[in-house]
Amino acid sequence: MLDTVRQFETPEGIFLRLRSAGALPRAQAWSIDFVIRVLVCWMGMIPLAFLGQAGVGIGMLVMFVLMWFYPVVCEVFFHGQTLGKRAIGLRVVNADGTPVTWVPSMARNLLRVVDMLPGVYGVGLVSTLIDPYGRRLGDIIAGTMVIHTSELPSGNHVPVLAAERPPLDLAADEQAVIVDFAERCAQLTPQRQQELANLLDPLTGQTGEAGARQLVAYANWLIGRP
Amino acid sequence: MKQERFVALHRQEWDSLQAWLGSAELRSREAMRSTQALAFPALYRRLCHHLALARARGYSREVTDRLQNLVQQGHRVLYRPPAPRWHRVAMFLVADFPRMVRAEWRCIALAAVLLYVPMLFCLVLMQLKPELAHSVFGSAQLAEFEKMYDPANASIGRSSGSDLGMFGHYVMNNISIAFRTFASGLLLGVGAVYVMTTNGVIIGTVAGHLTGMGFGHPFWRFVVGHSSFELTALVISGGAGLRLGLTLLAPGRQRRGPAMVMAGWVGAQLALGAFAMLLMAAFIEAFWSSIASLPDLVKFGSGALLWLLVLGWLWRGGAERVRHSDGA
Repeated sequence: MLDTVRQFETPEGIFLRLRSAGALPRAQAWSIDFVIRVLVCWMGMIPLAFLGQAGVGIGMLVMFVLMWFYPVVCEVFFHGQTLGKRAIGLRVVNADGTPVTWVPSMARNLLRVVDMLPGVYGVGLVSTLIDPYGRRLGDIIAGTMVIHTSELPSGNHVPVLAAERPPLDLAADEQAVIVDFAERCAQLTPQRQQELANLLDPLTGQTGEAGARQLVAYANWLIGRP
Repeated sequence: MKQERFVALHRQEWDSLQAWLGSAELRSREAMRSTQALAFPALYRRLCHHLALARARGYSREVTDRLQNLVQQGHRVLYRPPAPRWHRVAMFLVADFPRMVRAEWRCIALAAVLLYVPMLFCLVLMQLKPELAHSVFGSAQLAEFEKMYDPANASIGRSSGSDLGMFGHYVMNNISIAFRTFASGLLLGVGAVYVMTTNGVIIGTVAGHLTGMGFGHPFWRFVVGHSSFELTALVISGGAGLRLGLTLLAPGRQRRGPAMVMAGWVGAQLALGAFAMLLMAAFIEAFWSSIASLPDLVKFGSGALLWLLVLGWLWRGGAERVRHSDGA
């Protein structure tokens, strides 16, 4: 199925919906992180240059930490987000949707070595394209995934109209369609609203603007407004 | 129950929970100290119950989406990782890591064979046919090694640099090599095998060449201190890499996916332990091995002691004591 949402059942018996991130936003986040790391390294070298050989040693330590531990520390302490991921709106989570911890974060970041291999992230790119949830090899083995932080917008308020009972007893999915239509009204042009409402001409007995209003009135009744 | 009535009944509860969750993600310490934090797990379960009810009753997306978002936020807060504790780090180094090394002894022994056999082979070969050193290294590299361990050299074992400078150098080089050894094990183990054998050949050739030409004394004096931590850590990270590769080839009685996740979990911890060991090795190499004025007895004695310490730690660390009496 062409759906990147991963559903995970929690111990409470409900489903989490994790919207996995593809290669492009992740590459953007990585680029931002890369620029930040290079800048920090570069700015750090200026004062260290005055310390001579000891400065070179400290510079190497800084480079080492930035290279291997920057992503791990950020992911563990800042809700699974490096600075780049935060800017793009991504987050690393364990496969069960819980925040990522030390060992998985370490595993996924060490295995970057393999994902990076031919040129710039060749293996990683192929892996994200093949995997249904866009994980690179490091993610698959660490049991983590990268998701979008922004939630999908929730449904709009149903416009208030005097409630009216539908002439027929509707099945649950039919009721859901009518309420869905009412919730989406605000996002549709009047022409499109009327076009959709005309399909239910047998139910409402009206066409055009009156039909659309009639459906909203049914929706008001269905969600229990007076 | 109609949707509007359901929302009217519970809206206040959801609103207050949403406000608290928002503050918990921004200023977690303060939020966790408030009295609401105590009620949170119960409130979260109620919220999950509401979501399940809303879905079962076919309420509209206005309600279900809002509850879904709230639940996801709550899930992140409820199942956040425990605060890091130094005690855990100490426990890992003293007990968990040696236990894990013993549990994975097969792969680690294989890595040790891959490192030490070529090393000893080259070491002996250099005594018999010294000219073969030139087929492993170029003349410029050999001259560099000879200069580093020339007994006339004031700072044995390094081409240039101060203690701190070399510490940074050792950390960057050695630990990066260990991490790459682990990760490249994912390539069906080929990467780990390659790193282990080439390192064995290089170390064995250098040691054999220097010993053969009479620079053995300063060389062994220099390396004996940090060799215990450095070589053992390299073997362990190689073993972790081999474990990844072998699991990919032969996952055993598990599906390949879960088996690889398990191997990654074990391997990452072994790599973390190797990281700590290499940090120690770099420290010894930079600040202890370079001291030239100490007598041989102290140098070789401390080296032997460190080997005993490392092997003893890995052999007995975190081992369960033999119980004399059952019960309790």
